[in-house]
Amino acid sequence: MAELTALGFGILTASILALAAVGFTVQFSVTNILNLAYGDVMTGAAFVAYVASSRGLGGWWGLVFGGLFGAVFSLALNRLIYTPFIRRGAGLFTMIIVTIAVSLILQNLMQAIWGPGFFSLHIPAGASVHALGMALTESQLVVVAIAIVAMIALHSMLSFTRLGKAMRATASDPELARNCGIRTGRVTDIAWLISGLFCGLAGVALVVDFGSFQSTTGGAFLVPIVAAAVLGGVGQPYGAILGALVVGIVSELSATVIDPAYKDVTAFLVLIVVLLIRPQGIISEVATSKAVAA
Amino acid sequence: MSTAWQFYLTTVLVYLGVDVIACWGLNLQYGYTGILNFAYVVFQSAGAYTYAVLTLGPVYRGDFQQYIVGMSLPFPLPIIAAGVVGGLLSAVIGVVGLRRLRSDYQAMVLLVIGLIATTVITNASGIFNGAAGLSLIPKPLQSHLNLTLIGYQWAYVLLVAVFCVIIYWFVHRITQAPFGRSLRAVRDHEQAAAALGKNVTALRMTSFIIGGVIAGISGALLVGFIGAWSPGSWLYQETFIFFTALIVGGTANNAGAALGALLVPVAFLEATRFLPQFGGPGLIDALQWVAVGVLTLGFLWFRPRGVLPERKRSLRLPEIAGPPGPAGQSGPAARPVGAPRVEDARRRA
Repeated sequence: MAELTALGFGILTASILALAAVGFTVQFSVTNILNLAYGDVMTGAAFVAYVASSRGLGGWWGLVFGGLFGAVFSLALNRLIYTPFIRRGAGLFTMIIVTIAVSLILQNLMQAIWGPGFFSLHIPAGASVHALGMALTESQLVVVAIAIVAMIALHSMLSFTRLGKAMRATASDPELARNCGIRTGRVTDIAWLISGLFCGLAGVALVVDFGSFQSTTGGAFLVPIVAAAVLGGVGQPYGAILGALVVGIVSELSATVIDPAYKDVTAFLVLIVVLLIRPQGIISEVATSKAVAA
Repeated sequence: MSTAWQFYLTTVLVYLGVDVIACWGLNLQYGYTGILNFAYVVFQSAGAYTYAVLTLGPVYRGDFQQYIVGMSLPFPLPIIAAGVVGGLLSAVIGVVGLRRLRSDYQAMVLLVIGLIATTVITNASGIFNGAAGLSLIPKPLQSHLNLTLIGYQWAYVLLVAVFCVIIYWFVHRITQAPFGRSLRAVRDHEQAAAALGKNVTALRMTSFIIGGVIAGISGALLVGFIGAWSPGSWLYQETFIFFTALIVGGTANNAGAALGALLVPVAFLEATRFLPQFGGPGLIDALQWVAVGVLTLGFLWFRPRGVLPERKRSLRLPEIAGPPGPAGQSGPAARPVGAPRVEDARRRA
């Protein structure tokens, strides 16, 4: 029953991926920036959780601090670096170099501060729960639960609140939204906050799942995140959830068939194949309006 | 000059030559054609591995390193083969990577192709000896020349210099020629270039392949000098160094690319060797990367066209009234088509 066990891990990976990919895609849909520093903000959140746990606020407090850090830091990143560059007329071309530069700076600053070693949040894994041939520890189940709750919260926000409506409007046509009296600047800020919150939560969840982490952990996880977001249709939160399920389960299942060392390659290949065959993703509305494929 | 200093100087000169050559190749792709090739170092690495397996000779059972092919070809052939392999690999990856995607998506596809290449070469130990990499790679003609250690070092500097001259002559010629003008047209306004009958796909592909050949040659020259090559030598961050060099030196300007190679990978990264060692292991490396990132952001902000900006090539035409062209949503620049002044000056957008 190796496949069922792998399916369990696949769902776990998919939960973390979904958290991260939804955050990534919410921000992209509103701002149109492909933020390649996203993975490193995740690592930053993990380090914040680590510092909190070494100050005595261990355990699941890490999620709170990680999420808060992610939200505030992402907003600051946009206000202090990305928006000024865009105001100066930097196009997509320049912005991708800017985000990679930011990613390098963050990753190496963390390495300079904490060194190249591995760190752990020391969250007890708890007893192992067996169901339907899948075996997950209690802490892993909590991660899955958090992802589900966060998805439901985001869905309610987008569907039932004025803010959610404003965000969807800004994502599909910023000009029109502004002309209708939506304060798109504020919506953009909120999008970065929400994206950062998901980013921070995903970062902490990721290192709880991995058990240990270092300064490159989040950056290495970026490609599956982007794969999930693009597969579902970039800018589509529900698409990102779908994409996360596919990428998470496919990459864990593939590890039962091929050498697990190539597990990452599966996610990479999914991304490339999607970009080549259907770059607008499964749900294509936003991606088409942003002209991702010429 | 003491022997140690001569040794150091020649080493730096070889690195400089190799980096200059690599920057010219990337400049052709990024500066002139507007292709964000974030897998550039993969092509350099392909050249390096080609050179290695064509000089190391056959593999014996129980050898400490395993690799494919295993030949020992005489001197100029492995370097030429490295260029050919760089070009062929570019052709294959170009077919996949140069599809018509938004420019940042395209950059991401190439970045991911680079990551796949690193993962596969690291894990498949039979191809190029996996994560440990290849070592004891013979230096070209070392056994024939009968020189002292320092003499050979200077001879290698000469070899790299000869390649620099040949490649400079080549890139200078093609970027000054009508072909170079077509490339810049593709970069500045793809639709306009296509409307004038330029085969945009073929032009981008040609530039990509020539860049790949140059990258392959630079890799062969580098590995022939240092004698070892492993996945650690070509992480995707290395590509970023070349981009920083171009942004600092000046894109679409071959002198600027050479200056960038002198300033960033050589001067900037070598200078830190002379700092006193401080902090834990890896601290200086990490701070170096932080500095490279800050340098890139700083130049993009304060001097986006680099130290030596692209030469403005303008041509006065008689005044004709033309409707402003469509403002392109993506692509490097949105410049009115049919405007009276034709110039290549590129808005970094």
